[in-house]
Amino acid sequence: MLILRIWNYLRGYAIIIVKGIKIERFINLAVVNDIYLWDIEKIDYTTIKAKISSKDFLKLRSIVRKTDSNIQIIEKCGIPFKLKKIKNRKWFFAGVAALFIFIYILSSYIWMIEIYGLQNIDEQVIIDNLSYEGLKIGVRKNKINKREIENKMLIRMPELTWVGLEIKGTKAFVTIVEKKPEPQLINRDEPCDIIASKNGVIEKILVLNGDGMVKDGDTVKKNQLLVSGTIIRDNLPERYVHSMAEVHARTWYEDVEEIPYEQIEYRKSGKVYTTYSMEIINRKLERNKKIPYEDYNKREREIYVLNFGSYVFPIKLVITEYEELVSMTKIISADEAKTICEERLNTKIKLQIPEDAVILNQRIEYFPNEKSLIGKIYVEVLEDIGVKVRIY
Amino acid sequence: MSSKSYKIKEKISDALELPKDITLDIPKIVILGTDSVSIENHKGIISYKDNEVRINTGSGILTITGHKLAIKSIILEEIIIIGKIDSIGYR
Repeated sequence: MLILRIWNYLRGYAIIIVKGIKIERFINLAVVNDIYLWDIEKIDYTTIKAKISSKDFLKLRSIVRKTDSNIQIIEKCGIPFKLKKIKNRKWFFAGVAALFIFIYILSSYIWMIEIYGLQNIDEQVIIDNLSYEGLKIGVRKNKINKREIENKMLIRMPELTWVGLEIKGTKAFVTIVEKKPEPQLINRDEPCDIIASKNGVIEKILVLNGDGMVKDGDTVKKNQLLVSGTIIRDNLPERYVHSMAEVHARTWYEDVEEIPYEQIEYRKSGKVYTTYSMEIINRKLERNKKIPYEDYNKREREIYVLNFGSYVFPIKLVITEYEELVSMTKIISADEAKTICEERLNTKIKLQIPEDAVILNQRIEYFPNEKSLIGKIYVEVLEDIGVKVRIY
Repeated sequence: MSSKSYKIKEKISDALELPKDITLDIPKIVILGTDSVSIENHKGIISYKDNEVRINTGSGILTITGHKLAIKSIILEEIIIIGKIDSIGYR
């Protein structure tokens, strides 16, 4: 019967009031004449309210005459009558449709460009270069190839390290990272001092210009003056020179590493548990499921469900995979711990020592205790510790 | 005469296990709780009031009493009556 209702809604129907003494005869005649009446209600002794399809309504005339009753339409329902209403107000609906089309068209262009991360470069320079690569105000969004513009901008402007382009609505957000300014070089004709960049013992100091303030074998502290550019002689006015010197000093580096004898290893068991959730406009719809594993690797994938051209609806399916990990406790011997410790210490210390330093001496000491092995590394190197500082 | 042919028909449909409501032209009444009655094989409405509906059928006049009775749908084969139903009987 529901299908019949829907059908009648599509075809259009009327709610009528029938008045007459022979109201039962009216209903029976309608049935016999294949007129479908539904939702018949008695209003009072001689009146009923009923629904009738608009097609059958015309057939009622002969029955009305036979039964001597009176019909009145109180409401017209269904799609055909709705359409009629729309037809009467067609300019209104045309306006609404035009509005939506207008919004759609307008929202498919870039209307604003915002640039972040500017430090020294002028904003206008970036805007000019962007417009040269095809991103400017008034450009269609689907003509923009984000990755290509990013790459071309980097080629075009070598003073940039990174360019990120993101489009949100009708706004383009450009994030740039400028290259760090190169360290200032002090010109030869400018006076300067040389100071120690770190603690150490001077192995050899070779002063080319300026006055040496320390001797070979001296222990110096960080920021201590090594070569002075201010030359003071008796009976002569003060003179400022550009100091030059090679200051080789012994310096030390040390580091500590602890290796427990009990090593916990995680291994994949091969079992994978997958959950699905929806995310609509950053709101997560999720069933709270308990993850059946104690330790796991979590991996998430996101799939945007609805895409229309460049429009991505903010509805996405998030697939989360949990890979079970099985922990295994392994007890390693002292020798094995030593090898691991040495390896780690070596890699750690390498990060601290500058590349041009010469390693003179290297020593690892082990302090074993009940649960773990502590290794300490000491490295003695020879390096240039002189740093030029301008005299003001 | 009619009662004789009725008996013969009844016997035949019993023997052949045919549904009696079709062969004998008698109503099949389905009552759904207290709110809905559907009558198949009816022969028209005799009277319709808010608290009583009388329907002509092959087995006599079926009277349904209740409150706020309405005819949900009426076609040649079937009537569906809804409302609060108190009693149904042949009277």
